Amino acid sequence: MPRVENKGDELTVDLTEKEIKQIQDLLKRPPSLTEWGMFDVMHSEHCSYKSSRPKLKTFENAEENYDYVLAGPGEDAGVIDIGDGYCLAFRIESHNHPSAIEPYHGAATGIGGIIRDILCMGVRPIALLDPLRFGPLKNNPHSQWLFKYVVKGIADYGNCTGIPTIGGEVEFDKSFENNCLVNVACIGLGTIEDFKHAPSRAYNPGDYIVLMGGSTGRDGIHGVTFASRTLTEMSEADRPAVQIGDPFTKKMIIEATIEAIKTGYVRGLKDLGGGGLSCALSELTGDGGTGALVDMSKIFTREPGMNSFEIMLSESQERMAFIVKPEGLETVLEVFRKYETPHAVIGRTDDSKVLKIRDGEKLVVNLPATALSDAPTIIREEKRPDYLDNLLNQNTPEPSLELEDIINQLLASENICSKEWVYRQYDHEVGVRSVVKCGEGDSGLLRIIGTNKFIAASVGCNSKHCYLDPYEGAKSALVEVCGNVIASGAKPMAMVNCCNFGNPEKPVSYWYFSKAVDGMNDFCRTLRIPIVGGNVSLYNEDEVSNTAIKPAPVIMIVGIVEGQENIITLPFKQDGNYILLVGETKKELGGSEYHSVVYGLEGGVPPKIEEEEIKATWELLEQLYISKIVKANHDVNRGGFMVTISEMCFKNNLGAVLDLSEIKPKDIRDDQFLFSESGGRFILEIDPDDYVEVERLATIKKVYVQKIGVLSSNPQIIVKGLKTKDITINLNKLKKSYQSTIPKLMET
Amino acid sequence: MTIKIACIQFPGSNCDLDTMHVLNNVIGIETHLIWHNQFKESEFDGCVLPGGFSFGDYLRSGIIAAHSPAIEEARVMLKDGRPIIGICNGFQILTEAQFLPGALLGNDSLKFVCKWVNIKVENTNTAFTNKMITSSVLKIPIAHGEGRYFSENLKELEDNDQVVFRYSNESGEITNESNPNGSLDNIAGVCNLEQNCVGLMPHPERASESILSPTGTTHGRLFFESMIEFIKRRVS
Repeated sequence: MPRVENKGDELTVDLTEKEIKQIQDLLKRPPSLTEWGMFDVMHSEHCSYKSSRPKLKTFENAEENYDYVLAGPGEDAGVIDIGDGYCLAFRIESHNHPSAIEPYHGAATGIGGIIRDILCMGVRPIALLDPLRFGPLKNNPHSQWLFKYVVKGIADYGNCTGIPTIGGEVEFDKSFENNCLVNVACIGLGTIEDFKHAPSRAYNPGDYIVLMGGSTGRDGIHGVTFASRTLTEMSEADRPAVQIGDPFTKKMIIEATIEAIKTGYVRGLKDLGGGGLSCALSELTGDGGTGALVDMSKIFTREPGMNSFEIMLSESQERMAFIVKPEGLETVLEVFRKYETPHAVIGRTDDSKVLKIRDGEKLVVNLPATALSDAPTIIREEKRPDYLDNLLNQNTPEPSLELEDIINQLLASENICSKEWVYRQYDHEVGVRSVVKCGEGDSGLLRIIGTNKFIAASVGCNSKHCYLDPYEGAKSALVEVCGNVIASGAKPMAMVNCCNFGNPEKPVSYWYFSKAVDGMNDFCRTLRIPIVGGNVSLYNEDEVSNTAIKPAPVIMIVGIVEGQENIITLPFKQDGNYILLVGETKKELGGSEYHSVVYGLEGGVPPKIEEEEIKATWELLEQLYISKIVKANHDVNRGGFMVTISEMCFKNNLGAVLDLSEIKPKDIRDDQFLFSESGGRFILEIDPDDYVEVERLATIKKVYVQKIGVLSSNPQIIVKGLKTKDITINLNKLKKSYQSTIPKLMET
Repeated sequence: MTIKIACIQFPGSNCDLDTMHVLNNVIGIETHLIWHNQFKESEFDGCVLPGGFSFGDYLRSGIIAAHSPAIEEARVMLKDGRPIIGICNGFQILTEAQFLPGALLGNDSLKFVCKWVNIKVENTNTAFTNKMITSSVLKIPIAHGEGRYFSENLKELEDNDQVVFRYSNESGEITNESNPNGSLDNIAGVCNLEQNCVGLMPHPERASESILSPTGTTHGRLFFESMIEFIKRRVS
């Protein structure tokens, strides 16, 4: 990496020679080392999205095209108007590299960061969701260590701040063994008034800049440039770059911030995350069209003797920057005093459009306010990997095992088995909003007290599908996560994404990113889902083993259920009722759990998404919901519909008798039909009397709906009408293997 | 008469707003959220110490809050016989402040646990259980990392009827399987000798609305309805 210098002091920066020259030309003087450090951080991939921006620009403009979108990409979080004067803010972010080095604090500070992003939209954080990815747990102490402490880090931080963790997912794959993926999502709820009081820009000259929260220390310096490199053996030495979280201080900051906003004297608000003060101050003034003069000596530090470089680049946690109207300064400070949150007035905004930072009489930073936020973009090369053709041509072997055994293996596999071990450690009920408990619905479901509205939220992605076809894989992820929300009775309102990919400097890695973005873009435009935010985490590679992660464009969808009577849950309710399979089952087993669990294969042709079919299915479900026909719903996902049906049976100890003789196409083998992962399918429970009506509506909509069986009070699943003999599955036994996989691996 | 209840907000309380919601909107009793160093006992007929992580619980659960000025005010209330309930972290604070006997240790699983459990009512004479039926089973959630009840004087507690709740199965049997955290003798809640102060690990405020209960129960309301009954009896 190149070195820059100023008066004999030297600094290694992650900037290209071209960027260095641009900066020198812009300033027409040698930048100070502090300024170099600020450019270095602000132009890092993590802060500037320099590789991803050209691609992300292709997304439909959410704020322009959807009247209920109040804030879209570019803000700290997406915000949507949900009626009755309320708005929701939500965002998803990665904390992959810190968690791979120090899982407990890495995950905890990930939660801390995402909470701040929501808080600085002026609303109260009310829910967390965490999509996690690790190497397989079996015989792998390193993966077990990461998994255990990531979950504990999330639990300790989330539980202490009083924000329920209402959902998430865990995927295990060899490619995440050293570079685990820890994504964190948060939802905030507030009034539209609250939101309007907290723009993340300082647009008014003469306002006070108040720094509140934790003190500025030497931790996390250069955390950002570290997140924009791949993981090497040297990373162990980067441990000091991982920040330490303090959930108690965070809780005080949440309460103090919300109370400060309610005073009406806050004019702008920004959290200090990646890039610390450099990032916050330059974005506040740069985006607000103002400038500022900040006195460095006012910034309270954790230890004496910190220089301007360290102070401006520190990523110490739990800090917020407030822009306060002059007449309300004392009122706002009084709130901070009540909560005993440390705070200091560090400067004022002005109309200079220049960001100036003073150390005594000397200006250590004197930069055009927009210079830091206008990072250059880089057009990266893309190349489809050569290995794909071979992978896509892999066929499903003839099964050598009995189908019963395969089903048992699937339910007990790490990716499909119950995640109760995880969610028991999360307080998922604090806030008295959680209406559907973890494990009982496809998505987390929260009531909005004082209204008859409910928030449904889900996260997910299938990296195995994306690895084989990132374009279809990204669409599949959308279909799955939207499906979760729809299965709960909600209408998907908006999407945010967290793009976890490999090194963008490698054309193959960039190809994956680029195709996944295309997939999201096409799907969301057709299905009319606004993309209101995103986070890009590149450089997820492990240089020790020379492997890139499987691509993971993780999707988060937030939806709304109007009225308690319209909530749908997952468990089957009544024996004698019909079981319907909605959506077409195709020979799509590429990247399936069946391939990986039974044969150790990663290839085959993954599911392809036809937007028109998906659209028709969703419309049909909406009609069935209006007619109150659906008693239970669960989307078909990993492992195929036998997994779905088993999960629906468990809660109320019901069983099912399935007859596939009429519905299974002749050209599909039994195993291919049972374990296909074709997207956009659902399993419904309905009253037999409603079947005629369902058939009628399905014919109009041209949606495949097949009656595949009847619920029974006997806890077993019998499958008839196969090419081979009938099968019988003991659900009590199946449930035991479903529930015991993770406890067995983690507790012994 | 107008009953006025204080819900004490310590730095780090996080079930304070939930408790406020249930008392004010579900039970319909005038409840005020009071910052811990502004609490004046003389203005209230009873008080609730809500759940959460007071002062982050970094040192030991409840120990720092037990030294808050609010506790000295509450002690006057306690001596005067007015009702005080500590829920979860509130229970931990009340044992640390020695309003209640025993201590809450780390769960035997060494993990935080959040789930719905059953508790059996052992004493219906307290300020918070007088509307319950002896030996009935309540459905109520827990969410804690340090909820393992311990006391060196179990016999004394039993002799004095200070065990108020035990973790049980659905039919009220006290079994090892129904003990979620390793509590001594499955103890989930206790009271003081005078029975006007109760502490428990489960969360009544999360069990007071049918929409939040997996089985539609509202057993949590009984705690607060008992408190109202107790206050009314005291006054009359």
